[in-house]
Amino acid sequence: MAKVYLFLGLLLLILLILPLFLSQYLLGIFVFIFYYAYLGQSWNILTGYTGNISLGHSLYVGIGAYTSTVLAISLDLSPWIGMFIGGLGATFISLIMGYLAFRFGLRNVYFVLITIAFAEIGRLIALHLKPLGQFMGLFIDFKPGWANFQFKGNLPYYYIGLGFVVFSLIVVRVIEVSKLGRYFVALREDEDAAESIGVNAFRYKMIAVGISSFMTALAGTFYANYIFYLHPTSVMSMGFSIEIILRPIIGGLGTLFGPLIGSFLITPLAEISRSFFAKAGFEGLHVVIYGFLLIISVLFFPRGIYAYIKKVLSPVLMRSSRSTLSLTGRGKG
Amino acid sequence: MEKTMNRRIFLKYSAATGVTAAVSGFPAILRSQPKEILIGSIQPATGVIADLGIADRRANQLAVDDINARGGIKSLGGAKLKLLLGDCEAKEEVGRSEAERLIKEGAVCLTGPFLSGVAIAMGTLCEARGVPFVIDVAAADAVTQRGFKYTFRCFTTQSILIKNIGDFLDTIVKEKKVAMKRIAVTNAGDLFGRAQGKAFVDYVKAKKLSFDAEIVEHIEYPLGVQDLSAEVAKIKAAKPDILCPVARSGDAKLLVRELYKQRVELMGIIGPGSPGWYEPEFIRDMGPLADYVMDNAPWPNPKSPRFKEINERFAKLYPGKYLDGNSGYGYLAVMVIADALERAKSTKPEALVEALRTMNYRQDIMVGGAVQFTANGDNRGANTAFMQVLKGEVKVVLPKEFAQADYIFPTPPLWKR
Amino acid sequence: MSSSFVLQLVISGLLMGGVYSLIALGLSLIFGVMKVINFAHGEMMVWGMYIAYTILLFTGIDPFFSLVVSAGALFVLGYLFQRTVVNRIIEFPEAMQVIPMVGAALIFENGARLIWGPDYRSPASKFALSSLWIGEIMIDVPRLLAFLIAILIAALVFLFLKYTDIGKAIRSSADNRLGALLVGTDVNRVYAVCFGIGMACVGAAGALLVPLVPLAPHIGPPFTLISFIIVILGGMGSLMGAMVGGLIVGIAESVATIFLPSSLKQIVSFSLMVLILLFKPKGLFGR
Repeated sequence: MAKVYLFLGLLLLILLILPLFLSQYLLGIFVFIFYYAYLGQSWNILTGYTGNISLGHSLYVGIGAYTSTVLAISLDLSPWIGMFIGGLGATFISLIMGYLAFRFGLRNVYFVLITIAFAEIGRLIALHLKPLGQFMGLFIDFKPGWANFQFKGNLPYYYIGLGFVVFSLIVVRVIEVSKLGRYFVALREDEDAAESIGVNAFRYKMIAVGISSFMTALAGTFYANYIFYLHPTSVMSMGFSIEIILRPIIGGLGTLFGPLIGSFLITPLAEISRSFFAKAGFEGLHVVIYGFLLIISVLFFPRGIYAYIKKVLSPVLMRSSRSTLSLTGRGKG
Repeated sequence: MEKTMNRRIFLKYSAATGVTAAVSGFPAILRSQPKEILIGSIQPATGVIADLGIADRRANQLAVDDINARGGIKSLGGAKLKLLLGDCEAKEEVGRSEAERLIKEGAVCLTGPFLSGVAIAMGTLCEARGVPFVIDVAAADAVTQRGFKYTFRCFTTQSILIKNIGDFLDTIVKEKKVAMKRIAVTNAGDLFGRAQGKAFVDYVKAKKLSFDAEIVEHIEYPLGVQDLSAEVAKIKAAKPDILCPVARSGDAKLLVRELYKQRVELMGIIGPGSPGWYEPEFIRDMGPLADYVMDNAPWPNPKSPRFKEINERFAKLYPGKYLDGNSGYGYLAVMVIADALERAKSTKPEALVEALRTMNYRQDIMVGGAVQFTANGDNRGANTAFMQVLKGEVKVVLPKEFAQADYIFPTPPLWKR
Repeated sequence: MSSSFVLQLVISGLLMGGVYSLIALGLSLIFGVMKVINFAHGEMMVWGMYIAYTILLFTGIDPFFSLVVSAGALFVLGYLFQRTVVNRIIEFPEAMQVIPMVGAALIFENGARLIWGPDYRSPASKFALSSLWIGEIMIDVPRLLAFLIAILIAALVFLFLKYTDIGKAIRSSADNRLGALLVGTDVNRVYAVCFGIGMACVGAAGALLVPLVPLAPHIGPPFTLISFIIVILGGMGSLMGAMVGGLIVGIAESVATIFLPSSLKQIVSFSLMVLILLFKPKGLFGR
């Protein structure tokens, strides 16, 4: 494992120094890479590690974003604090959903559907709530400063985003090597068998849901203070939920580095296809190409790209890698 | 004596040029006269309003081509404009990212983006980067209420839209001596639809109309609805005198078909400030049912020979299409940017912002006055026209000085045509 | 609130529900047999609409007739799509199946945009504006025709599955894939035919919708969502469930406008889905 840590440290060093050489535009790309990597990692905790697929995670981003923003507007509360309150709000809602889902024994596609239903109902309600701006959405004032979590240049966002990603990696790694992680994986591989040896499925699934939603919501505040406009259709939609899950799935579900690799691949891919193929008279071409790339990447890397990399590099890593239990990303979901 | 004088002057002059050349590292003359000025156009070219986004983009491009054909920006040595294209995909984060990209590629000014949400995201970015942002189309009042120095908006604000429909309705009641007591309003569930619907309903409820009127029904339906039979049944049950729908061309067609099928009796269909009713697809697909529909919207000036000429070329390039209130402003915005460049004699942001601040661009292609920006960036000259579809053509009927025809009201029922 | 008003809403909803049923039927087949969540369902239906629209535009043939072509074209499309993409992802964990289907949805939607342009189209077809009146109730002719034809097609699909060899093979593969393989069924071909039929249903439904719904590349997703709600309501894998579920959802959405602003219509559908998931996850007819 020492070799992996060395590699990671090197990567971190590079990412820390990189901004010196990057334009605002490229910094902005990295901001989105980190943002989606973090979201993917938070989602991964629930789906990748316990196998309960959520297609409604945008709901939590929305709750986080709206909570901190409304608190900032009405009480002048710093978004740094509002962020955590938003996280708690998201956890609360997610636990309600989890309770309903797990008490009623919803699994697999049924669980997916209830996450979708919750997210859509949440979006529709948000569209009608006055404090959330109803259909107008919320316009956020631009008052740059650390207290307001807003900045002129992309550099602070870059480092904060990087911080979020490192934070999520640490959280996931800690979970992985702890008993919690082993319970999660046991539930993913075979929930009934796990229960029969005494793992309380309900308790651990709820924990996963809670942690995942809390972390996801934090990113909502980041988004709100980067884009300055919130609207349920942008921040609580099904389309956004799908964006969240794309990167960890392609990168490698249930793996530590999957979401990161996925994000470093997909976000630039989308950007490149947009800047090269979005030409007049061919509107939509870049999305068609993006769609093909998605299909091809799954067909070529059915276990995620991380699994492929591991296979290729395993002769090098085999001597030092011992923790293979949760790093395989295998599972029937 | 003369020789010495000349030589002294010559030396002074060459020294000055030499210094400038040394500082800029390049022959000074070439540096101050860019061959090409880059402008960024970010529109929603894919996604749910791709048709409107693409139309705006085409108008932006046509204006750029026209300016170049006339010799480019003369005060900058005839530099040609080049339009860099961005697609915000109707999403704020993509809008911001595209803006960042075009700025990096050298755009000295941005235009777009049709959607108010994206306008906010881009506006904030342009403020942070110090790049002028001349919005061609975006209606929400809030867009220019952020206190931004770099954001300017050519389009009308929602307040103007609503005030004008109120005035137009007052005019109809007075001139045709009718009573329009019962008003039904519908709108789609998107941001513009709901904002517009609500603003109009509030206006009527606040008794701002000069005649007695009440809102008997206000229906909102989800954007992308496929079936309006239930909604129209409700409208019919409310027995309104007029229907004021804010609709896109898709739901406009659904609405009219249902009104026809359910035999809903109305004095007229009057859009309070709505897309859809003037779009060529609506008129083409609805045939005689499209006639007599009225709408209040920003619109090109039909009496302007200049506009007619531009529109002819647009129609030739894109058969079946014509410049409307939105794409017309797409064209105008680029003219405004070109004028700013011309007067600023520079591509530097501060100079451009100053030129925009003091803008007084006399134009007659859109209904309204000269383009002048208020302190917060709104266009004082932006205005709307009241139109009616007559015999398959959109005709301006009010205000009188822009009118192409007289309006017909009350209108004949849909099923008797 | 007159009773004729309510009856009007019920009838409109019922007729629309017939078309929803046909769309959901396609999903029920695909999902019931192959257990694949078809995220591109609505987008493929839109292609069915565009094909019928194009035929109408160039030959004047009404979609009620050209639906055969739409259905046929989509059958081929579905068959090929299954053999090239879906086949390879059938064994994948659900999460991995999502991505290619989402990619397919993007391709279909934007492919349509590239080919036909982004504008809304509502061509005037022969019956588009006609209506029957029974007392105070207006019956929309295109909707009535769509309803009748949808039921007819569904009946044909039922018969096909019940009495033809390949129909039986589809049903047996759905029940027990391993068993079917063991008795020598060419499961791949069976699946491809099944996906093809599912798409054919959806193609026909699309053609039926052309006189009713304004056509644009991006109108797919609401239909995908509604199909899922119906399939859950009716019971996954149950074709009768899809039919009945479609009618129920159609009526429910229509009648809900009495009590709720239309923009909240969808909350009714989603809440219904949640209740079904919690209390009767197998749906009304699920096995």
